[in-house]
Amino acid sequence: MDTKEIILDVKNLNTTFVSDRKEVRIVKNVSFQVKRGTALAVVGESGCGKSVTMNSIMRFLGKNAKIEADSIQYNALRDGKVTEYHLEQIKNPNGPEMRALRGPDMSMVFQDPMSSLNPVYKVGDQVAEGLIQHTGMKKKEAREKVLEMFRKLGIPDPEERIDCYPHQFSGGMKQRVVIAIAMICNPELIICDEPTTALDVTIQAQIMELLKDLQVKEGKSIVLITHNMGLVAEMADEVCVMYMGRVVEFGSLEDVFDRTSHPYTKALLRSVPVLGLADGQKLETIPGSTPNPANLKPGCEFADRCPECTAACREKDIPTFEISPGHRVRCLKYKNFPEVE
Amino acid sequence: MLKFILKKLLMMIPMLLVISIIVFFGLQATGIDPINFMVSPEVLSANADNVEALRESLGLNDPLIVQYFRWLGNLLHGDFGYAFDGTSIASTLAVRMPYTFELAGYSLILSAVIGIGIGIISAIRQNGIIDYVGRVLAVLGQAVPQFLVGIILIQIFSIKLGWFPAANRVSPGATNQFLDAFQHLFLPVTTLTIGMVAVLMRYARNTMLDVLNSDYIKTARSKGIPEWKVYLKHGFRNAMKPVLVILMFRIPTLIGGSVVVESVFSYPGIGMTMTNAIVANDYNVVMVTTLIIAATMLICSFMVDVLNAIMDPRVRLGE
Repeated sequence: MDTKEIILDVKNLNTTFVSDRKEVRIVKNVSFQVKRGTALAVVGESGCGKSVTMNSIMRFLGKNAKIEADSIQYNALRDGKVTEYHLEQIKNPNGPEMRALRGPDMSMVFQDPMSSLNPVYKVGDQVAEGLIQHTGMKKKEAREKVLEMFRKLGIPDPEERIDCYPHQFSGGMKQRVVIAIAMICNPELIICDEPTTALDVTIQAQIMELLKDLQVKEGKSIVLITHNMGLVAEMADEVCVMYMGRVVEFGSLEDVFDRTSHPYTKALLRSVPVLGLADGQKLETIPGSTPNPANLKPGCEFADRCPECTAACREKDIPTFEISPGHRVRCLKYKNFPEVE
Repeated sequence: MLKFILKKLLMMIPMLLVISIIVFFGLQATGIDPINFMVSPEVLSANADNVEALRESLGLNDPLIVQYFRWLGNLLHGDFGYAFDGTSIASTLAVRMPYTFELAGYSLILSAVIGIGIGIISAIRQNGIIDYVGRVLAVLGQAVPQFLVGIILIQIFSIKLGWFPAANRVSPGATNQFLDAFQHLFLPVTTLTIGMVAVLMRYARNTMLDVLNSDYIKTARSKGIPEWKVYLKHGFRNAMKPVLVILMFRIPTLIGGSVVVESVFSYPGIGMTMTNAIVANDYNVVMVTTLIIAATMLICSFMVDVLNAIMDPRVRLGE
């Protein structure tokens, strides 16, 4: 696939944290692509490395994180011309190269709108800040743009609300402001890190609709980190399932939901709560708990909880097999299919 | 905002009244009889009638409550009364207050700039050289008592090197006023500053570290703004709120509590006036100086409220 079609291409991303002088591998050999104008959902249970993966790409991790990758390639499409950025080669996480991309090219919507906004500045100024930084716009001009964005995002009474402080906003409205901050410089790629986890269900639907609208109408590419399978089914074009820092299954929504291949994905889908569960029928769960990333056994990380585990699963690292074009599974069940890197 | 300030100002009046009541009745309860300081014991026993007349004329036989209101009324008219040696308290304070304010002001500004500056840099470059050195010095600065710092400084700079005078505020017959002031102020200001820098440095570092770990700092970075803006605009302002509170509440301690430093350097400020008055049982002076220190405390706490409201919109709206 060429660079016009793929906006973000990650190959063999490894993120290691140093804690107590011990290195703990949190993200291991993660590879995935985001197609331009589509939504990729990254799913997996808490602590599986979804957020760390995205924060590694955006370089938001602290000094104790070590990021290594064969390639993190971001392809910007401007006026029909593609510019390639090799993010893995950028040394300083907050240096000018990275900063130039944050905002106008790639931006992030964070999990908790309650704490993502600076309490001492007006929301309008917080949204305008990025715009002024990247375009050198005058304050007044930027204000107009912010108002326009507020209207687009359905913030009522924008003329008045623009001069309010974050604590005067409800959770859903705050998240709209956070989205406005992410959107104001018109980025190509928006990474949403569990954007609705902190919100109540009715607001969740509104926010997701908003994001889906942006993706479809404005051709944005979205990476949605979530553990809500319902959202995935609604939003995603492609799905990336992660477990213990590895991508265990990657494919189109249909591949992953209808032709579910990895035992972990199957278990994950079975444990989605459904309305109208019969009396006495228990919600299925995945037995056992996630292992400690600091002392993992060799072989498949899921082996201990897997119903289909064999002796071979515990021997060595499991390769990834491509079972149909674009559908990759990291499980020995499919060892007859061609191996991919 | 104006309403907020007015409300806070009005609230200071009853508080000052309560403090004045405590100070007045508290000191009366010590049972000091000012007559003992005016008349020698021999005269006292020989002229009981005259003494009684003196007592009556001074109003010392009136009920305490009457005495209190008379004292308060005089205070409000700017009449602070007299020390037992007959000097006017107002005129003594007029000379000594500026000295104390000088001492307090310089050390406050110096320690704020140095302490907060190093604290913030330590937080930004956590575990760097400045951070390590600063942390060690902060522990030292807090652990060594002020009088010891003062004495060590006098030993080194006055006695061994002879660079600065060890006592007083002015040298008689000094020609260069500025140089003279600088020389006299240098050692006491340094002594006060060392202790405060230690406190402020640790505090500023810790709050800044907290703030730098918060989510909105990540949001700020996600906008692609330069790091100095992330630190100063988004970090510093949020970190400064608690630090300013500490700083402001140091002012009354500096004005009343530089007692130790003023004694070590024989510096003629309010602290010295107060210690001397306490030793001499001169309760008129003790009352007035205590009130002044209490009033500075109230004013500082008022300024903390106003500054907080200016810096944090959440406080302002809770009017």
